[in-house]
Amino acid sequence: MIQLHDVCKSFMQGDESVFALRQISLHVKRGECVVLKGNSGSGKSTLLSLIAGLAQPNSGEVSVDGREISKLPEPFSAKLRRQKIGFIFQKFHLIPHLTALENVITPLIPENLSLSLLDEKAKTSMEQCGIAHKAQMRVNRLSGGEQQRVAIARALVNNPLLILADEPTANLDENLSRELIAQFERLKHQGITQLIATHDPLFFELGFVDRIIEIKNGELV
Amino acid sequence: MIFNMNFLLLDYAIRSLMRRFSKNFFIFLILSLLIFLLASVLMIADAIKLELNSTLKTLPQITLQRFIAGKQSDVPIARAEALLDIEGISSVTPRVWGYYYFKPAGVNFSVVGIDAYEEQYSSTLTHLTQRFDMKLLANKESMIVGEGVKKILAENYYTDFFNFITPDGQWKRVPIAGVFHSDLALESNDLIILPKKLAYAIFGMEESKATDIVVKVANVKEIATIVQKITARYPDMRAITQDDIRVSYQNIFDYKSGFFLSLFSVSAFAFFIIIYDKTSGLSSEEKREIGILKAIGWSSDDIVKEKFYESFILSLGAFLLSISCALFYVYALQAPLLRNLFMGYSELKPTFLLPFSFNLSMVILLFLLSVPIYIAATLIPSWRASSLDADEVMR
Repeated sequence: MIQLHDVCKSFMQGDESVFALRQISLHVKRGECVVLKGNSGSGKSTLLSLIAGLAQPNSGEVSVDGREISKLPEPFSAKLRRQKIGFIFQKFHLIPHLTALENVITPLIPENLSLSLLDEKAKTSMEQCGIAHKAQMRVNRLSGGEQQRVAIARALVNNPLLILADEPTANLDENLSRELIAQFERLKHQGITQLIATHDPLFFELGFVDRIIEIKNGELV
Repeated sequence: MIFNMNFLLLDYAIRSLMRRFSKNFFIFLILSLLIFLLASVLMIADAIKLELNSTLKTLPQITLQRFIAGKQSDVPIARAEALLDIEGISSVTPRVWGYYYFKPAGVNFSVVGIDAYEEQYSSTLTHLTQRFDMKLLANKESMIVGEGVKKILAENYYTDFFNFITPDGQWKRVPIAGVFHSDLALESNDLIILPKKLAYAIFGMEESKATDIVVKVANVKEIATIVQKITARYPDMRAITQDDIRVSYQNIFDYKSGFFLSLFSVSAFAFFIIIYDKTSGLSSEEKREIGILKAIGWSSDDIVKEKFYESFILSLGAFLLSISCALFYVYALQAPLLRNLFMGYSELKPTFLLPFSFNLSMVILLFLLSVPIYIAATLIPSWRASSLDADEVMR
């Protein structure tokens, strides 16, 4: 499902080039649930961004579902992201002032689907995340846990093959974190591939997690 | 584009506009005001030109004036007879006319003396002599007046007559025998028509002279040649052709609308600089939104398309509102304030109506000056923001 080969990524800090990722090679099989652990600044988020096609590597190859996303023209990588990848962000990244429902359907807008299909997909996704009753509420009026559920519903609305989660429990308390983990377990049973970047210990003892990979200073340990 | 229209994207664009209501409303208001101002100016200029063109058609082909020491002087009537010798001239009419200043209202009336037995030099006068009994007018030493004159006189308690003051200080009481209305309001609104004899008395002119002479020619293509012949025979006479008058009037109005166009261009330029500056410096919230949209699967094209819908809705809305308001302002309200700027050149104050004229090319010009320019000014910065890495924008 995910294939990375000798991937390097660096950023410019003033005149200096700082490596975020060095020679990363990784293979994640379809349906696998992989936890990527590492401290802040270790390169977890950068790795997820490269897999989602949100940033380009300086060298190496990144493939998702057999397509080299790092070399696809922007409209095609956007389409691949829209149709096959669901991204759950640490800070939720919902659009304030929009309702929960509007946020959930936003990824589907470029697809120009019929209203009935749009409604059905959004409803299913929101019910799956237990947030359907808050559909008409503006997201900036929801609690942190509810916002995270809206973000997950948005990530699932396109029935993605791959879920990328970046520190999904960082802004949640322990109870909400456990609820979220239960959600990830359900997704695992549905056969959705998951790559969860976290440093939350709750993820390190889970039975449904297939592999835990550690990243340190931009290198896989 | 309409065939590939994404209504969900359109709906998103409308909601996005509403979310930033105060900022967008301000831009909408300013843009509307600018287009409204320019549209009104061009519509007024167009309507006045239309009225003038209709009026000019009724004016004489050639008007001959006499100048002595650089000042206009009366023309001996004997010259009218002599002019008929010139080949190509079909008729010659000496005119007795002038302006009469009516101090209480601060306006000039155009006073024209006519002879019931003469051929009239303008279609308006021909029409009037057919409608009113000019012989009776001569016998009773009375006058007929335009609607504007009637109104101004009535406001000053002259309902049935008016006392003209002759140059030697005598009072000349002239009864009002009738009021006429003409479609050519510019020409007839301030007009007073009375017998020639009476006009001579009011202006204190010798009856052997005329104010000027109008000449009709058989073939309009020969006007220039005939003018040459006349001025060669009478060097103290100046010939004014219908075209000369048309050009001078049009120059006045073109100059005025050109002046407004320049003003508009300057303000529009300033406006677009502000817009460009405002949108190129997208707020962090807007930038973040673009980043989120890219992260959840929108392409740069989708974002640019959505921004296009936003700016198209806003600018088209402003354009349509301004054109509708300008139509209402100019034709229904008769353009208060602005019209005075255009009519300021005139010494008279005719209360004529601006005739309706819908100039499609002007509407297209206004559209091109507003909508595409606004779209370009807002789209370029949005495109720049959308081509940044989403990852970078969201951090």
